[in-house]
Amino acid sequence: MNAVEAPAKKNKTRSRSKVDKPWQVVVLDDPVNLMEYVSRVLIQIFGFSKEKASVLMLAVHQQGRAIVWSGDREKGEMYVNQLHSKQLNATLEKTK
Amino acid sequence: MTITPTLSGGLKLQPEEEQDWLILFEIANDGDADLAQQFSELMDEDSMWEEIVQPELETEFSKQRKTIVDAVRQAQEAGEDELVIEPADADAWYGALNQARLAIEAKHQFGPRELHDLDELKDPEMRSAYFRNDFYCSVQSLLLEYVMVDES
Repeated sequence: MNAVEAPAKKNKTRSRSKVDKPWQVVVLDDPVNLMEYVSRVLIQIFGFSKEKASVLMLAVHQQGRAIVWSGDREKGEMYVNQLHSKQLNATLEKTK
Repeated sequence: MTITPTLSGGLKLQPEEEQDWLILFEIANDGDADLAQQFSELMDEDSMWEEIVQPELETEFSKQRKTIVDAVRQAQEAGEDELVIEPADADAWYGALNQARLAIEAKHQFGPRELHDLDELKDPEMRSAYFRNDFYCSVQSLLLEYVMVDES
């Protein structure tokens, strides 16, 4: 009987490449935009759930700013453009 | 001025005196044409915001103000006693009201509504701006509640 060698098991672990997210979209507080409106804009632009949008809106309101997204610069600029179009103070910062 | 939701999903404004019409015209006058530039100041030079985005925002904000002026003028010249904000125009109205409130805030720094002491407002121009701002904010709230319905 010829013995058949069992195929060597492939090593299933693989190293995850570190995803580079060097830019972040920051929404800044202002005393004009209504809280309900800010939540709705975050839902519209980023597709957040109502709950997540509320948490971020409250962070903006209470802490003066909130990081709402991080990723590559080009997409970040697109999001900031949309936020400015909705008259929200927003900027793009390099991740520290 | 009386404001009521309409069955077609809009908002009906019924000015009752000349002053009410003037306040509606003031929405566009209060808006600051430099708002887009203020947003550019939040961005670094590499973003080319002034060159690319700012002109687009200026056009967009200007269109919002024009929508309001045209609607108010048309209603007044036709001798109508009411003005309806249709759902299709709600974003433009909301945006123009926001522009007006941002400009008033930049000029007078009223801060959050609930924190302001009305007795401090001795200056007639400041008092007028405060009440216009309050009126604009009320219309925005009604737009959000009855016209720009949240379907999420």
